[in-house]
Amino acid sequence: MMAAVAAADGGVPRSRSRAAAIAATLGACLLGAALAALPLFGIGPNLIRLLFVTLVWVTASVAWNLLGGFGGQVSFGFAVFYGLGAYAAAVALNAGLDPFSSCLLAAGVAVVASLAIGLPTFRLKGPYFAIATIGVSEAVRVVMTNVSATGGASGYRVMERGTFHQLQHFYSALGLAAGAVAISVLVRRSRLGLALVAVREDEDAAADLGVSPLRAKLLAHAIAAALTGAAGGIHARYAAYVNPQGEFAFAISVAILLMPIIGGVGTIWGPVIGAGIYGLVHEEIIAAFPELHLLIYGSLLILIVLFEPAGIVGLLGRLMRFAGRHRRRGRVRAASTP
Amino acid sequence: MPPPLLEVEHLTKTFAGLAALQDVSFELEAGGIYGLIGPNGAGKTTLLAVLAGALRPTSGRVHFAERDLAGATAFTAVRAGIVRTHQVPRPFRTLSVLDNVEVGLRFGRGQAGAKAAGAGDAIRETAGAEDAALRILERVGLAHHANAAAGTLSVGDQKRLELARALATRPSLLLCDEVCSGLTAPETESVLLLLREIRQAGTTILYVEHDLKAIMSICDRVIVMNLGQKLAEGTPAEVQRDPAVIEAYIGAKGAKGANAAGR
Repeated sequence: MMAAVAAADGGVPRSRSRAAAIAATLGACLLGAALAALPLFGIGPNLIRLLFVTLVWVTASVAWNLLGGFGGQVSFGFAVFYGLGAYAAAVALNAGLDPFSSCLLAAGVAVVASLAIGLPTFRLKGPYFAIATIGVSEAVRVVMTNVSATGGASGYRVMERGTFHQLQHFYSALGLAAGAVAISVLVRRSRLGLALVAVREDEDAAADLGVSPLRAKLLAHAIAAALTGAAGGIHARYAAYVNPQGEFAFAISVAILLMPIIGGVGTIWGPVIGAGIYGLVHEEIIAAFPELHLLIYGSLLILIVLFEPAGIVGLLGRLMRFAGRHRRRGRVRAASTP
Repeated sequence: MPPPLLEVEHLTKTFAGLAALQDVSFELEAGGIYGLIGPNGAGKTTLLAVLAGALRPTSGRVHFAERDLAGATAFTAVRAGIVRTHQVPRPFRTLSVLDNVEVGLRFGRGQAGAKAAGAGDAIRETAGAEDAALRILERVGLAHHANAAAGTLSVGDQKRLELARALATRPSLLLCDEVCSGLTAPETESVLLLLREIRQAGTTILYVEHDLKAIMSICDRVIVMNLGQKLAEGTPAEVQRDPAVIEAYIGAKGAKGANAAGR
């Protein structure tokens, strides 16, 4: 997995051509506008629910990629932030806080958790860090199962006054996902982004050039936790119910890591694509293969890491280069035939 | 006389009881090229690692430009003006050559100035850094590879990249660990020329090398180490005549042919 993360960038120059950047921005705006307009075309509430859930996944996936993709720190512990965010928002909503402030609080709680987890675990490198995050994540789940204030294992209900507006939930998830992508772009271009990729490639060499690896990792962890916590909060408000087996499940951590790897780890759009696919097909796969769906994800992960570490984005790039070569060759042939 | 740039006093570094550095003391004046030689296992690389903040000394004092740096982390050492290049190049392989240099530019001592100039404007700051990075690449002769992935460079070019990244941090003391090993004779010549230019521009250099010819040709003074201790110090000519140095390098019996070893 480390190798997959490291190989992901594949020597793509950080500063791409201006035209490509403008095209990507335009495409992103169009995608966002299309999603925003979709409910106006009378799609059913079930499809809106599916899109809502997918957007929550997009946010978490893009967040994970900040630390795992850019920084190369593979964490299996993002369910902690998702779950703590969900619980924090649930408690805040029940205390009468407005939805926006509740999600801010969810992000804040997740940030505090990210620092508490990051300070000790970032001393570990590579697989040791990954294993430590599994331990922390399971520990938090067990603790939350035994906290009686939030209902322990039986979970905690969110009781919000006022009528339920599905579209309000949808647009808040869309806004958060768009914000996550924008943050991802900004981080990638910033000094922090440069520090993260340098740390991913060679932590000690980065330190020898003045980078503080711990500071870069903690900062990326905190930003990622804030986004993931807010995503958990938004989902908790929609579901109106949180429970330790659901929000803190190991499967949540694995899903958050799987999506960016499917799409293309270390890229801007890979995590969005991966989460889009996962979000849209996940429920169908569970329904079709209730016993086997985890096996399918596991096999998929192995195949991607072995054959296309840069995920779907890498595959598309390869196809485009192949098509480009083909076209060029065709043109040369056309020119040479009289 | 101005105070020395670097004062090292009674520096000791032990690994599980084994002394890699034992009570090493020396001073470097600003503006010189100093050679650091010694047989394998003498502690040269360990000394550089301690000075660069990658290793914490067990005891002793490192005083650099009026600051106490013993036990400082690597990135505080860089901020203070000490940077090292690695014996085996360690490029950020999937990043472009240009981006490699930008890491040094934006996290070394130059970053305070860059921040003031492009206050908050991430993109403009990047553009400024790109120009500066290109200038440094021109200086070391790598400008034509600016957009290549650093992992695809030849070993010689990777060594130049090590130098370029280090220079980008604007050091006042450059620690070079065997920049010439594995290079052809003409490549070595051009790297030595580059080191002279770097010194000319005001950077003090501490240069570790196995190639005694290279050391003797460009260094003002040479420090000789053996088994973790400082054995001798002096001008290249003095060091070459020192019986203790000759013995450490080729053993007492070969002392007669010793001068040949220095050529």
